[in-house]
Amino acid sequence: MKQIVVHQEKCTACRECELACSFSHEGSFLPALSRIRIADFYEAQFYQPMVCVHCADAPCAAVCPTVAIQRQADGQISIIEDRCIGCKMCLLACPFGVMSFSPEKGVAQNCDLCNGDPQCVQFCTPGALEFADIIEASALAKQKAAAALGLPHA
Amino acid sequence: MATQYVLIGNSAASLAAIDGIRKHDKQGAITLINREQGSAYSRVALPYYVAGEMTLDELLIRQQPDYGKIGVTLVENENAVAIHPATKQVELESGKKVSYDKLLIGTGSETIVPPIQGLDQVPHHYLWTLADAIGMKQATNTAKTAVVIGGGFIGMLAAEALRKLKIKLTIVEMAPILLPQLLDEGAGQLFLQAVRDEGVTVRTGALVAALAKKNDAIEVTLKNGDTFSVDMAVVATGVRPNVRCLQNGAVSMNKGILVNEFLQTNHPDIYAAGDVAETKDFLSDGRSIYAIWPTAIDQGRAAGANMAGKQQPYPGSLGMNVVELFNVTLAQLGRFREGAGDDVKMLSSGKDGLYRKVVVDQHGTLVGAVYLGDENGVAEMGVIHSAIRRREKWQGFQDGRPPKFSYGAVMQAAPRY
Ligand SMILES: Cc1cc2nc3c(=O)[nH]c(=O)nc-3n(C[C@H](O)[C@H](O)[C@H](O)COP(=O)(O)OP(=O)(O)OC[C@H]3O[C@@H](n4cnc5c(N)ncnc54)[C@H](O)[C@@H]3O)c2cc1C
Ligand code: SF4
Ligand code: SF4
Repeated sequence: MKQIVVHQEKCTACRECELACSFSHEGSFLPALSRIRIADFYEAQFYQPMVCVHCADAPCAAVCPTVAIQRQADGQISIIEDRCIGCKMCLLACPFGVMSFSPEKGVAQNCDLCNGDPQCVQFCTPGALEFADIIEASALAKQKAAAALGLPHA
Repeated sequence: MATQYVLIGNSAASLAAIDGIRKHDKQGAITLINREQGSAYSRVALPYYVAGEMTLDELLIRQQPDYGKIGVTLVENENAVAIHPATKQVELESGKKVSYDKLLIGTGSETIVPPIQGLDQVPHHYLWTLADAIGMKQATNTAKTAVVIGGGFIGMLAAEALRKLKIKLTIVEMAPILLPQLLDEGAGQLFLQAVRDEGVTVRTGALVAALAKKNDAIEVTLKNGDTFSVDMAVVATGVRPNVRCLQNGAVSMNKGILVNEFLQTNHPDIYAAGDVAETKDFLSDGRSIYAIWPTAIDQGRAAGANMAGKQQPYPGSLGMNVVELFNVTLAQLGRFREGAGDDVKMLSSGKDGLYRKVVVDQHGTLVGAVYLGDENGVAEMGVIHSAIRRREKWQGFQDGRPPKFSYGAVMQAAPRY
């Protein structure tokens, strides 16, 4: 499946992605409503773009008490807004803190890949974000990071 | 021959167990026994139905054809009354007997009836089943005032639903704060104030001694002698494991059904999961029952996989809650009230309505957190949640920034679809 691949070392925390996301989805430049977030550790000069990875065994979908989170045929994890009651269990379940919540609509929101043309990728000038087939693009990075943490990388 | 799976209950634990079984066994016959009628509904959504925000149809989390499609036979309106491990049979109230190769008990919780004088003589409402919610909703058509007895999780959900319907509320809670199972003293005081600011009368440190019918109203008498009248009474003084079908001593029990790390009871072919099961705890050496949706899902999935012949250990239960009440979002994880030897990291102290506290144990390992604030802060609790599950050490924090765990690296390592 094509996904947003993150090249962490290229991120400068310019936050153009946050603006592009909130503008294209919510019509306003509000980073708080962005579905992609930069975790910044300024003192270490370490910036990590955080965005839904459409987990293989998605904890958010497993826990949703109204079956509002479902996997689409293309593999994407989507929220059926009509089914969402706004309980926020998915926010508590997402290990990456990338499930966000719209106070206005009262529903959870995650990265919907902008129908195949992610705006964050378009606006990421340093090239830290790429829209690519996830298996090929990140297998190596994944394995390295997992090994460093002693985590399995199935 | 194909395995005969029998599951008692049609809610979180059993539905997750079906997923667990079907992941590994596509052939076995699954029979689901439920004392209620119809396909599964979401208990968590019931308060939204009471508040008039959802219809009965919208509460459903399965449709009738969903069961057949994956080879599940739904036996509705049948109460399991006994289990006979010697003959491997479940006895139903109608007298029928259902044979099993592997059995799951997922009978959940039942509400506790408190010792209140006159309770059985006045109309009152619980909030656990769909029938309860329908009854409560009907009562709200005419009620202008209500008492909520018990300011715990379910009591506060009921209160929130009634508030949305503009019913004037009095909440009576034994503890000094509301939601004592979810909030520490600091967050509890902030929340108490937020509820009172909405015009709700909250009587903390108080007990209801008696209820009595007085004309069309209900007279409430507190233990200290105070009285007041309301149109409607909601009772939410807690739940306990529903072990009614196990009165014959067929399986070992403490408060709930005792299971090992594979969710097996003392009979290897009988499993238990969800609110009814007393399982391994994640943070302590003991066993626990949290009676929450996420643990029912986790246990159900693991039980299902094990019933299908896998060896999938259950890592243990971790208490967690998240809820939005009276325009405040609250969340809790693990050991949120510090014990001896624990250390507390205050990330936000309650100023401007934001309270974030993390608890670490004597080795510096994250064990719990409490959050009070707006909706989006819960995402950070999700990160802390996974860090607690990985038994990560606390690594410092800068004000206004997310806690620093190795989650960037974890993200790179995540198994993706
Ligand atoms: C109003 C409300 C709001 C809630 N909100 C939250 C929340 O926000 N977050 C959270 O984590 N948790 C919440 N919970 C708790 C959560 O719903 C439960 O923890 C969860 O449903 C437990 O699932 P379970 O499958 O173990 O049991 P249950 O959901 O209790 O289901 C038990 C099933 O067994 C059936 N059954 C019982 N006995 C028999 C018998 N003898 N024979 C046949 N069938 C039987 C019942 O009909 C039912 O289908 C809420 C609960 C309520 C009532
Ligand atoms: S929201 Fe979080 S848990 Fe859900 S699929 Fe995306 S990364 Fe995974
Ligand atoms: S907030 Fe919505 S999508 Fe998330 S778990 Fe609750 S109902 Fe499901």
